[in-house]
Amino acid sequence: MAHYLSARDLDWALIIITVVICALGILQIYSATHDTKWDDAWWKQIAFVVIGLVLMAIIASIDYHSLMGQVPILYLAGLVLLLAVLLIGTKVFGSRRWIPVLGFTFQVSEFVKLMLILLAARFLTEMRSETLELADLLRLGGLFALPMVLVMRQPDLGTSLCYLPILASGVFLAGLRWKYVLAIALVAIVILWPGYYMLKDYQKARLASFLDPDLDPQGKGYQVIQSKIAVGAGGMWGQGVTRGTQTQLRFLPVAHTDFIFSAFAEEHGFVGVVAVLALYFMLLMQIVQNAQTAPDRAGMYICMGVGALLLFHLLVNVGMVVGRMPVTGIPLPLMSAGGSNTLSTFMMLGLVNNVRLRRFVN
Amino acid sequence: MESPFRTIAGRRLALLVWISAAWGLLIAARLVQLQVVQHEHYSQLARKQQEQLVEIPAPRGAILDRNGETMAISTAVDSVFVNPMLLRDPATSASILAEALSLDRDTLARDIADRARRKRGFMWIRRRISPEESKVLRSLRYGQPPLDWIGLQAESQRFYPKGQIAAHVLGSVDHAETGNGGIELGLESELQGIPGASRVLSDVHRAGIESSMAVEPRPGANVTLTIDERIQFIVERELRLAMETHRAQTGSVVVMNPHSGDILAMASYPTFDPNVRPHPGEDPGARLNNAFTAPFEPGSVFKVFTMATALDTTRLTPESILPCGRLVMGNRLVGEAKNFFGPMTATQVLEKSSNAGSAQAGLMVGAKKMDAYVRKFGFGYKTGIPLPGESPGLLRNVEQWNKYSAGYIAFGHEIATTTLQLARACSVVANGGLSVRPRLVLSRQRPGEDPVAERASAPERILKPETAIRTRLMMEGVVLRGTGRAAQLPGYSAGGKTGSAQIFDFKAKRYTHEYNSSFMGFAPVANPQIVVVVTLNGAREYGGAVAAPVFRGVAAEALRILEVPKDLPEQIPVTPQDDFEEGVILTEASDTDPSGLLAEVPTDPAQVYGPVVPDFRGKTARTVVEEAMSLGVPIVLNGKGIARTQAPPAGAILPLGEPVHVLFSR
Repeated sequence: MAHYLSARDLDWALIIITVVICALGILQIYSATHDTKWDDAWWKQIAFVVIGLVLMAIIASIDYHSLMGQVPILYLAGLVLLLAVLLIGTKVFGSRRWIPVLGFTFQVSEFVKLMLILLAARFLTEMRSETLELADLLRLGGLFALPMVLVMRQPDLGTSLCYLPILASGVFLAGLRWKYVLAIALVAIVILWPGYYMLKDYQKARLASFLDPDLDPQGKGYQVIQSKIAVGAGGMWGQGVTRGTQTQLRFLPVAHTDFIFSAFAEEHGFVGVVAVLALYFMLLMQIVQNAQTAPDRAGMYICMGVGALLLFHLLVNVGMVVGRMPVTGIPLPLMSAGGSNTLSTFMMLGLVNNVRLRRFVN
Repeated sequence: MESPFRTIAGRRLALLVWISAAWGLLIAARLVQLQVVQHEHYSQLARKQQEQLVEIPAPRGAILDRNGETMAISTAVDSVFVNPMLLRDPATSASILAEALSLDRDTLARDIADRARRKRGFMWIRRRISPEESKVLRSLRYGQPPLDWIGLQAESQRFYPKGQIAAHVLGSVDHAETGNGGIELGLESELQGIPGASRVLSDVHRAGIESSMAVEPRPGANVTLTIDERIQFIVERELRLAMETHRAQTGSVVVMNPHSGDILAMASYPTFDPNVRPHPGEDPGARLNNAFTAPFEPGSVFKVFTMATALDTTRLTPESILPCGRLVMGNRLVGEAKNFFGPMTATQVLEKSSNAGSAQAGLMVGAKKMDAYVRKFGFGYKTGIPLPGESPGLLRNVEQWNKYSAGYIAFGHEIATTTLQLARACSVVANGGLSVRPRLVLSRQRPGEDPVAERASAPERILKPETAIRTRLMMEGVVLRGTGRAAQLPGYSAGGKTGSAQIFDFKAKRYTHEYNSSFMGFAPVANPQIVVVVTLNGAREYGGAVAAPVFRGVAAEALRILEVPKDLPEQIPVTPQDDFEEGVILTEASDTDPSGLLAEVPTDPAQVYGPVVPDFRGKTARTVVEEAMSLGVPIVLNGKGIARTQAPPAGAILPLGEPVHVLFSR
């Protein structure tokens, strides 16, 4: 059968929504960083978005089946690079997450996401049975556990937790029996309880401050309080671009990265925030639609891996900003300033387009 | 081509979408809660931590005299502050500031470091610096390179350009420019204005980012007083001379327009400089205005009101004969200052200040009418001037009077009055019998508005016009022939009354040899333009000797300043004086003889005209003494250094028996 790869078949709705979200993000990055030492962040972000679009096109053009064929090599490469990060990585704020390449620093754990999406898709496609058995789950879980442990060692709890939704959505859609779903939920609770004691002090502090931010207003809870004040002060219509006082007077921490949603909420108000959430919802629905129209199970797993990961980011980040989730330090994809996350997100959307381009193939 | 697998996956996919949509709704609900419901709450939290409201003091209103002379004004001065958090090199900054402001460098550096450690973004280095320091700091602040970390904030500082002049009327302000005495306190609410506020946005490091005017400060009202600064100056000069000459303890003078009630001058002694803040070691009494805070037994000056009341309510006339022999009221003998007199006319009773005669007039009036008239004159009540600490004096209810009280009050005992009350009451006699309310504020002007004149109260008739005129003529007799001859004015007729009440020592329960010496008078007699009341408390001599000359010095110049036409020739008619004086002595006859009071008064008509007073000003004490001795002019020297002022002024005819007072200062 002839393969017609036409740009017309790309998911243009998804791309336009993506670019609009990125544009709002760049505007907010500019607003939050002008007159600060990060005042070049907004045009850097423009560069990342452009590069991201190119990478998205490249990823979309390589058939995802051949990408899935490279999973063993990609998996080994990912583990090696994560080990390299632990050994030679650049240390910032007490954790090693970045390795320098050609004058840039890359956060390997961000790109590992792509590899894990492909891994889960291939593993679940190659299963014999109609429904996922516990043995399969344990094997797949083991494959996920290795990189997760390595990322946690950096330490980077937030990013390592991001891998879980890929696994969870995969096994759930693969037909994991309900009794196992409930059992895993129970086990998770049982494990999380003592797991708390294995967390680093600052991670504990984040959790504790999430439970009661007012206990420690100058510590981690401080960030949540300031974020809530910013969101609340935004009101219905917001205070205007570069007018948000919480943002402009630096009360809001890292207003151009992890707390960019908070800064946006302050300057654009409830109306702006709902608009952005609607854009994200439309983006996710496009991804779900691509999953439903995927030519095979592999394509569906890939799309839903991407969708689950983005949804997780969105829920955790926005939940954190409004004081409903702990401060885990994970960015808001497409809006937060940051090269690695932006590029990996575009590459994941490239995978979605990849699947879409081949929906009529067989 | 739907497989069973696809069906399961499809169902679960839909389930996932629904779950995520539900989570999205929860987040949206949370956003509604934060951004819509609790918006105000969070806005307030934001403002609380972002905004510092800095009060901008409103410029205080000026105080002017009746001719528009500035008596008190607020000028802008600089205060210095820094932001300890933003100093790049705190040590160098501290030494620069210490150098410019003469502060201790180490202490300052330590203070700045301490504030920086406590994350304070604001620190006053010094407030209200001198213009010279201001100049130095401004040249640094805007120099090359500009030291823009030096913060200069304009603040206002009260300044009294006339120094001590009218200090007691004006009062003073504290460090916050809040009035703490005088008009400054009395009209505080009008003078102070309404402070504005500046909103300073400060970032998380407490560095002020920008400030905007939140509320414009509203300057206080300008207040124009009835005081005439020129007359006030004369009054203070004359009072100081008398105080220093006679070593009295405290003194006060009130000059009043008897028709309008305008207080043209009001002085108290000892005095102070309102430009100097109250400090330890200063005379605590210096800031008290003796003109109305300290009531005293008025003594003989009160006989004027007794006579006026008797003329108004009884058949007494100025020519009526009053028996002035020994008078026993209750268990006490009413004595006279010197001898006992025989029967005299009412006019003579006032001229010679007979206690017995006045007491009889008082008894003729009777307690009820005496009480009514005394109260109508304003005794026993505050005059209502807008100055703090006014005393209503002491006047018992008529029910508490005994049957001789009217007789004692008649010559100024069993009653305590203030100098201001006497001026008010004397004005009734001077203006033809109408009540008058002392007025200190002429008008007030709010910023951007027209001045609002203070309304005068409607006059009320107290004495019949003929009573007032008769009383005035009797008082002129006191100056022409009686105890008040030292009050005679060159070129003007004058009426008055002396008073010398012995000060009662409450500890020893007896009268002392110190007097509240007073003089109450007006001029000219036909249509009085000024009323002057002088009180010297704790003087060792009678009112005719110590207070009357002050009246003369004040009235002569005040009438000239007010351009009142003269009604007499320039020369001073000197009438032969008897060596009697007034004075109120109760029982102890031995206490009645103050020695040598008028011993030097010449009686030779040939010596009626005294020498012309030379100009001593600008000369040293030695030169002044030599010159005075060669001319045969008696002089009284006060102070050290160069002669600055003299009374009477150069070129005047020196009244016989009077010395020239010369005040020296460096």
